[in-house]
Amino acid sequence: MEPVVITGRGALSPLGNAAQTAVAVAEGQVAYGPIEDEVLGRLDRSGDPEALRTRMAGRVEYNPREVFPGRNFRPVDRTGQLAILAAEGALEGVEVAEEDRRGAFIGLVLGTMFGSVHTISAFDRRGLEAGPKYVKPLDFANSVINAAAGQAAIWLGLTGTNSTVTGGAAAGVLALAQATQLIRDGRAHALLAGGSEELSYEGLVGFEQAGLLSSGGRVRPFDRDRDGTVLGEGSALLLLESQGAATLRGARPLGRVLGHGSAFDTSRGRDPERAASALERAIRVALKDAGSPVDTINAVFTGACGLPGDVAEAKALAAVFGDAVPVTGTASNLGCCLGAGGAFQALGLLHAFEGGRLPALGGFERAPTEVSSLDWCREARTVDCRRGVLTATSFDGVVAAVVLERAGG
Amino acid sequence: MPIDSVVVTGLGLVTPVGVGRETAWSQLLEGRSGLAPVRSFDTSRHSVSLGGEVKEEIAPELRRLPASIGRATRLAVTAAREALDDAGFGAAWDDDPTVGVAMGTTSGEPGWVEEMDDRWIAGELAGLGGGFLQHYPCHVIAAHLGEELGASGPNVMLPAACAAGNYAVGYAHDALKNGRADVMLAGGADAFSRITYTGFARLGAIAPERCQPFDRHRQGMVPGEGAAILVLERAQDARERGARIYAEVAGYGLSCDAHHMTAAHPDGDGAARAMRQALASAKLEPTEVSYVSAHGTGTPTNDKLETRALQQVFGGRSSSVPISSIKSMIGHTMGAASAIESCISALAIVNGAVPPTINYEEPDPECPLDCIPNDAREMSVDVVMNNAYAFGGNKASVILRRYSG
Repeated sequence: MEPVVITGRGALSPLGNAAQTAVAVAEGQVAYGPIEDEVLGRLDRSGDPEALRTRMAGRVEYNPREVFPGRNFRPVDRTGQLAILAAEGALEGVEVAEEDRRGAFIGLVLGTMFGSVHTISAFDRRGLEAGPKYVKPLDFANSVINAAAGQAAIWLGLTGTNSTVTGGAAAGVLALAQATQLIRDGRAHALLAGGSEELSYEGLVGFEQAGLLSSGGRVRPFDRDRDGTVLGEGSALLLLESQGAATLRGARPLGRVLGHGSAFDTSRGRDPERAASALERAIRVALKDAGSPVDTINAVFTGACGLPGDVAEAKALAAVFGDAVPVTGTASNLGCCLGAGGAFQALGLLHAFEGGRLPALGGFERAPTEVSSLDWCREARTVDCRRGVLTATSFDGVVAAVVLERAGG
Repeated sequence: MPIDSVVVTGLGLVTPVGVGRETAWSQLLEGRSGLAPVRSFDTSRHSVSLGGEVKEEIAPELRRLPASIGRATRLAVTAAREALDDAGFGAAWDDDPTVGVAMGTTSGEPGWVEEMDDRWIAGELAGLGGGFLQHYPCHVIAAHLGEELGASGPNVMLPAACAAGNYAVGYAHDALKNGRADVMLAGGADAFSRITYTGFARLGAIAPERCQPFDRHRQGMVPGEGAAILVLERAQDARERGARIYAEVAGYGLSCDAHHMTAAHPDGDGAARAMRQALASAKLEPTEVSYVSAHGTGTPTNDKLETRALQQVFGGRSSSVPISSIKSMIGHTMGAASAIESCISALAIVNGAVPPTINYEEPDPECPLDCIPNDAREMSVDVVMNNAYAFGGNKASVILRRYSG
């Protein structure tokens, strides 16, 4: 079984690139805020202002003309553009000979929840309003959920294994897990892995009408009085390689992926006990896979983002770690980035490996009544972080965990 | 035969030519077409109207689940129930963490986006409600299967568009080999949708009257819908519980053209790489392949480039290795297609026959293949290569082999 090392990282969030985002999160900066109607752009066209009341969200501001100089970015939708920008960051300084790229050296495993539901809806609405002969072929090409992965492959010449994986908000962690397994099994040498998710009007409407958006406009992971989440957006990708491939090209590892685990809660979040036991199982599988006893873990980066499922996540963490391991995350700062969330958690953990502080669980004040014994990161703190766990709970039952270790053990 | 090989022990099929493996198999062997004018939405503003829908009269069981649960999910649940029963697992498990689900799709539940869009245009978007988030995101297909069947092991959705079924089988194969689960349900599902149909119509890709893969005068593909599930286990487990074994999943390969979103690489580059990887992972030579289950959509470009890829891999044997496209009969069922084709390939191995490519009249000099024209063929099938290609340049080949353990 090939050991899997992390040799690159790239991201784009409202707080900047991978390094800027990790530092800003550790400092407690918040990436979301009030969004103007014109930014969402399509509120009037729905003819129904009641459909979306919230104006709180995280949005990456960038000018495609500036970030894609001299290239035609128009065929690529927002989810794809975000993925490309993260991939460019992760591949920065990676010198792979053209023939190696053509020899399928690098591939991509992308997690996403929606792909681009905006592209799909816009395509359909144009067909309804203007007639089916006036729909845009480019939109149709991007209507498939693997469009972002395909576009990034075209943009960067990534002819290796290309996979899109989803399990709702657990997609980012699932993508890291799938890429790890493909490399371990010798099916790939180098894979970009993580997630991409765009903020869309359609996504916001879906979340608001499901009653999942915070009325107070604040993500408060685990808090007793949490009242929902705030949607964010962005993309983050790690470059994972077999240790052999990385050594061969003289790459300096940032860390290692030691193990992964996933499971499913057949109550799909309705029963917090079953949800917790599913995540507990996923974490224990990942720890065993990593050969890492509980007492070797120095931090947990959770995906908890102010939703009802936070309780199950807290229960699972309490069952595995008790109050011995600091629990933090990135959603207080970035909002709920859905399929990209797990990859941002990974960036936070890598930052902690490098001596950065564990971010505070911003907005967390009181523990949920169901769980008391967790070491909540109420404040940012410095720890000697050698190994950490990423956890993810989708609100539809899919749960996953990954164990990372810092370079040099 | 190593004891940890992964085998197929149950099949479930929902296709435009019939529901159930026996019905679908016999219809396909007889060369019956399930393509007909589209009923589920108005095609009067399109210049084409042919589609591969799973009509209500052949699938009354689809009504057993509430309509709020998307159509793709209902197709998948129907296929899964058959597959479980076929494998001898009964109706469901009781929250079993050793059972996992890996499913592929192109569009997930596009019916829910259509619902959103209809409301949007009518000015009634506020009435959408929570159903959209509950039933739209594509992972709900795998999640619903997990809930319905009591499978609490790994649960993933692989939306690799029209190659997704093969991605799911590959994922499940690895999960079993690595001990992540003891039983995996793997397959694909896609529902007929206005969005998909409109898109292919706009690309000018839909054939007006019939689907004619590899024929010189082929005019296009035909969108279809369906679902297929394969029950996969490690061979040792299957033998110990006395299960019937259809075939072994001998290997698979994934690649990407990185060339164009909707058009294949002009040399068949990525497709050839996926086939070679699949053969390498199965430790097989091209000469050992008995039958190729083609992607074979029937578009002028796909079939030509697929032939070029086959020529790269099979060399001179490309014109004689038997190959057929059941899309000539059921259309292109999107993310379900390669899962349906894997089921049919497994049945070909146990039944000693392969389905035809129907509507084949005039050979295309650019596709010099033995495409099993018009009539099924009785032949011994030991190794099947099942090819699937997708938007985004995703390529996936799965190899099934006769189990002789």
